[in-house]
Amino acid sequence: MTQALISQILIGVSVTAILVISAIGLAVIFGVAGVINMAHGQFIMVGAYTAAVIGKMGGNTFVAIPVSFVVVALLGLAVERGVIRWIYDRPLETLLATWGVGIILEVVMKLIFGPELYYVGAPKVLAGSVHLVGRLPYPYYRLFLIVVAILMVAATFYLIFRTDFGLKVRAVRRNRAMSGCLGIDTAKIDMMIFMFGSGLAGIAGAVLAPIKSVSTTMGFRYAVDSYMTIVLGGVGNLWGVPTGGGLIGEGETLLAYKFNSVIGELLVFIFIVIAIRVFPRGIFGYQERR
Amino acid sequence: MSAAAERLSRSRRSRATLQRGRLVPLWMLLLGAAVVAVIGGFPVVAGTDSYILLLLGKFLCYAIFALSIDLIWGFTGILSLGQAVYFGIGAYFVALSLKINYALDHPTRYGNKFPDFMEWNGLKALPHFMEPLVSTPFAVACALIVPTALAFIFGVITFKRHIYGVYCAVITLAESLILQEFIIEYQAYTGGFNGITDYSNYLGIPFLWFMLAVTIAFFLIARVLTHSRIGTVLKSIRDNDLRAQFMGYNVANYRIFVFCVSAFMSAAAGAMYAAWVGIISYLDTGPVFSVEGVIWTAVGGRATLIGPFLGAFLVKGLEFLLSGVLAAFWQLLVGLLFIFVVLVMPDGIVGSIAHWLRRHRKGTLTQLREEQDLLAHDREHDWQPAGVPRSGEESV
Amino acid sequence: MALLEVKGLTTRVSGYTILDNLDFSVEENELRVLLGPNGAGKTTLIAMITGQFRPTAGKIHFAGQDITGWSPDAIFLAGISRKFQVPNMYETLSVYDNVMVSLQSDRKVFKYMFKGVTAAEDERIWEILDFVELAGKASDPADTLAHGERQWLEMGMLIASNPKLLLLDEPTTGMTPDGKQRTAALIQKIARNHTVLLVEHDMHLVRQIARKVTVLHQGQVLAEGALDEVVSNKTVREVYLGKGKRH
Repeated sequence: MTQALISQILIGVSVTAILVISAIGLAVIFGVAGVINMAHGQFIMVGAYTAAVIGKMGGNTFVAIPVSFVVVALLGLAVERGVIRWIYDRPLETLLATWGVGIILEVVMKLIFGPELYYVGAPKVLAGSVHLVGRLPYPYYRLFLIVVAILMVAATFYLIFRTDFGLKVRAVRRNRAMSGCLGIDTAKIDMMIFMFGSGLAGIAGAVLAPIKSVSTTMGFRYAVDSYMTIVLGGVGNLWGVPTGGGLIGEGETLLAYKFNSVIGELLVFIFIVIAIRVFPRGIFGYQERR
Repeated sequence: MSAAAERLSRSRRSRATLQRGRLVPLWMLLLGAAVVAVIGGFPVVAGTDSYILLLLGKFLCYAIFALSIDLIWGFTGILSLGQAVYFGIGAYFVALSLKINYALDHPTRYGNKFPDFMEWNGLKALPHFMEPLVSTPFAVACALIVPTALAFIFGVITFKRHIYGVYCAVITLAESLILQEFIIEYQAYTGGFNGITDYSNYLGIPFLWFMLAVTIAFFLIARVLTHSRIGTVLKSIRDNDLRAQFMGYNVANYRIFVFCVSAFMSAAAGAMYAAWVGIISYLDTGPVFSVEGVIWTAVGGRATLIGPFLGAFLVKGLEFLLSGVLAAFWQLLVGLLFIFVVLVMPDGIVGSIAHWLRRHRKGTLTQLREEQDLLAHDREHDWQPAGVPRSGEESV
Repeated sequence: MALLEVKGLTTRVSGYTILDNLDFSVEENELRVLLGPNGAGKTTLIAMITGQFRPTAGKIHFAGQDITGWSPDAIFLAGISRKFQVPNMYETLSVYDNVMVSLQSDRKVFKYMFKGVTAAEDERIWEILDFVELAGKASDPADTLAHGERQWLEMGMLIASNPKLLLLDEPTTGMTPDGKQRTAALIQKIARNHTVLLVEHDMHLVRQIARKVTVLHQGQVLAEGALDEVVSNKTVREVYLGKGKRH
């Protein structure tokens, strides 16, 4: 294999990391509550702006991560209590309502921060790059993203599979009615999971902010990528997000290298549409009829 | 059978047709006639004030677009966030054709007889595959057939595997976004960000009347479709596709059918739009426009056919009125509108009115109830309907 | 040949064997009751017959045709109608429309595109509405009905579809004793002209209407025969009531 190809594959790994980071919050919410938050992109954006503010106040990305988590988690709480809690049984309506929330968030953020782009720098510790393959540099920040992605998945895994709260979440996911009968406050579980997922989106924003500039419209692209990752990978299992992210990330990177990025996206999209014929609920989705 | 029962069954038969209602109720006819008169007559009376004329034509295209969304979403329960794909493809075919023809008569500064945006992007001549678009009738045919074929393929791929609901919504969203990006990327062929502009358009009263005729035709088609049995089948698929499937309906085929009809309508709307407005861009193919269509239908009232018209008119009208004010304010309002319509008024305006009317009207329901009470009274005293024993009796 | 014949039906899901080499048949015009403790495989058997899932192994024959692996809508057209455990109907449609849409027809997309309801069909719909005592609520949307009425509406829908075989999965769930009685009578009336396979738990009800009974246990037929025989079968009593208990 040529060096260029290996280099592309490695870039694909970091693209996968970005997809995983963006999608994991959404996957958790969708997997448990069955709702898709169309404002997910805007949640990421708010996390990024939080990081920008932290940056202006002298902090760096490491400080921004927990702060963004909390800020967006609280935002998620507000949205869940105000809007989503009334329409859990109507997932299609949730799409529309959260789309509205997204619009409002964009407008509000634009009113607060203005239309200019913000630049958030990576922490000095992570500046520079390493030479993984020959003379082609691989930025430390990309490695950092991969680490963050792994940590986020691990943390989610720990929460869902090693805590009491996670046990309740799994019970609700398996059999909502029965869990309710057994005394689990399913409404509260939904709320907390939504907060957690939103918080993850906040972290995504904080961590993705240094990649490009921060603007009020930056989130939409990440959101659509997250949706596609979930559709392909499935939400029945935590492996769905890395798998979906990996296939899309590597696929788009390599195809973009061969043709161009738009063709890459188109081909990956077609691949996804065909793949879900075999896996209607994603590769790791719950089994559906027939 | 007692006399009451005889009376009952006879009157029922005559009520049966009342249950279905007439194809075009009088009020609908009158309302439609009024709207047609206003739209068709206004420019004649008020003179061709270009801007209002432009808006009227645009409104018709938007209304058809929203109508097509009502068919698949309101009646059949398919939420597609990418209907603008079909609108956009229809629009681009027609716009390209008109632009190409315009360029033939109006050479560029360098004497080239092909679209200026192609020249700016370094093309030396009209691409071969675009040459057939010189024929506008051919372009119109493409504008109608290609999106419908695309919808058919999409339908077969997704609906045959029972992919619907949230998954379908998200996939159509991505589809719309990708088309948008495609158009921007291949700007040599599509005009990219600027879109296709500066070509002769059909803005004028005759074309307005043509669009009005097309709108009426589509409305009637939608009405006939949804009023007939197939309309009830579509609604049953929307309400409980599991039950429908186990009741013998090939749910996938019905979905594909209505999806293609909807795409055809969207494409026609797009084609007319391109001819009417004279400008087309990637914005007309993307997720934002798709979702706009959905919200018009939601505000107006799903599964009502008139709702989409009302919704498009109200929302677009409001946007026009408020466009002078802070644009941000309007956006905020739009966002709140989404939330409001979903939480507070899921039936939309027309739907809520219909609900209210049904509750307050003494109709078939009340009359039948009264007759059923009569029946119950008879039964208590000695008469028994066939087959079902009274409670307490032991059945063999 | 029996109307419905199931041979060697096996289903494995995630390592669990739900149906284990099951042989089962129903004769024409029978009213058969399917019994068994929870998890025995009753609903799964019905799901297999109606095409909801594909079996891992085995064959299902109906009216001489091999319907194994057919899609649910094809199996319906072959003549099998299913009533779900939880009443399943079209919530926003009126009671009348629920029955109308279920009327026997060939279900093709283009056939009914511009048609309404014929007078004969309308007559039949009212007949059925009378039969299930919902005529007074014909214009009401289905989601306004009481639970028992919903069960009956679904039965009415099945009758409208005029099937050869009716599969009723616990149709009296959630009903008052009076409602159960009336449902039992309704089922008996239906059984005069159709073949019915009924899954039930309420033994009082079963006693009233059952002739031949099949007991399933852990995916296999445990016992089959007249109700009295089966009830006095030692293994059946153990399975239902547990070993070592005084009955």
